[in-house]
Amino acid sequence: MNLHFRAFSFVDRITSLQPRTRITGSYTIPSGLNDFPASLAAEAIGQLAAWAAMSAVDFKSRPVAGLAGRIDLLAPVRPGQVLELDAELESVDEEAVAYSGGARADGTPVIRLQHCVGPMVPVADFDDPQAVRDRFALLCGQGAIPEAFNGIPFLPLERTGGDAGQCLRATLRVPVTAALFGDHFPRRPVLPGTLLMNANLQLASALAAEIPLPSGCDTWILRTILDVKLRAFIPPGEVLEFEAVLDECSDHTAVLAVETRSFDKSRAGGKRVVGSARVLLSTEECA
Amino acid sequence: MIPSNNEITKEEILAVFPKVAATMADALACDAEKVKLDASLIDDLGAESIDFLDIVFRLERAFKVKIPRGKIVEDARGDLSESEFDQGGVVTAAGLARVKTFLSEVPPGRFKSPLNVADIPRLFTTETFCKVVIRQQRATAAAGASQPT
Repeated sequence: MNLHFRAFSFVDRITSLQPRTRITGSYTIPSGLNDFPASLAAEAIGQLAAWAAMSAVDFKSRPVAGLAGRIDLLAPVRPGQVLELDAELESVDEEAVAYSGGARADGTPVIRLQHCVGPMVPVADFDDPQAVRDRFALLCGQGAIPEAFNGIPFLPLERTGGDAGQCLRATLRVPVTAALFGDHFPRRPVLPGTLLMNANLQLASALAAEIPLPSGCDTWILRTILDVKLRAFIPPGEVLEFEAVLDECSDHTAVLAVETRSFDKSRAGGKRVVGSARVLLSTEECA
Repeated sequence: MIPSNNEITKEEILAVFPKVAATMADALACDAEKVKLDASLIDDLGAESIDFLDIVFRLERAFKVKIPRGKIVEDARGDLSESEFDQGGVVTAAGLARVKTFLSEVPPGRFKSPLNVADIPRLFTTETFCKVVIRQQRATAAAGASQPT
């Protein structure tokens, strides 16, 4: 089966494009999925912005995941919903695209991205430039056939240690083969940055479950992710080390620092930080 | 035109330094005290290429200026053509003289010869970015002054 533009693509249609400025589009979450994590809604916004950026530089370069200043998780999304996507480009050139964007489902804002920056890389290093152009034309015209996405592979985090309520550590072996690598990207398979952050959020949620709650509160809610930074491409088969640390905690808010490292013998300490972010937790209204 | 730093005073640099240092500390997730005026971003602060993008965009927001990507190297090149500035990615003697003049805050001993264009960012210090901010503030002010009212 051809996986290109199927296994990890989250824009079905581009509904408007103001060159170098603004783009809107949509994506129908396949109804047969078990779930659709918020990180994939963020990916959809990033991909929409990427189409606007690529069209601005005549498809010579494409952005890859780099920075996200702030991601607000506003509401959960469900399979079968249609995401209405938008992105505002602050700047775009051959080196980087800066944008903000959001997604709505059933008229409700579900996620908001601010101050995102994607470093631009040559399209031809990652994909067939003509195939990318053809896809853009399709998205701007009749649109792609929905329901192509079959879900992401299970990426099991294996806990390796920690200190209850203070920190958690885990490792993850990135699969050597997975359908998503046929789409992300055909000429250079790499683990999508949003899946790296998804794994970080899983660990953050596990740590949050261990942090004592204020009296009368049921749970910590993961609401905002700050200062997301992705430093390196993660190839298939890479072994990654994850760590989530409780940085601050007051009555009804907590801040976690999450970090991902790869093993790199050429560096002092034998490890390289490949991703980092801060996660803001807060409680629901308590009794 | 030979690029010059004469017009940027130490007072101007010190005026923007605290905010530049705080912005860089946020980007590099380090203490602001660690961001000295003469600190090398790569060698002292461990910055990588994504950090440079992060710093530039944060400075744009903090100071409400636009900093075109590649601005520092472009300004250092001045009116030299690309072939006068570098040959096959290696900075020429004329280009190196320009870079040394433009990056006057960098101690002479840190300039390697031959110098690859790709290695110019290794020379950047906190003061380099203070100067970028000041130049862009002036450019913004000049553009505003030239707008018809």
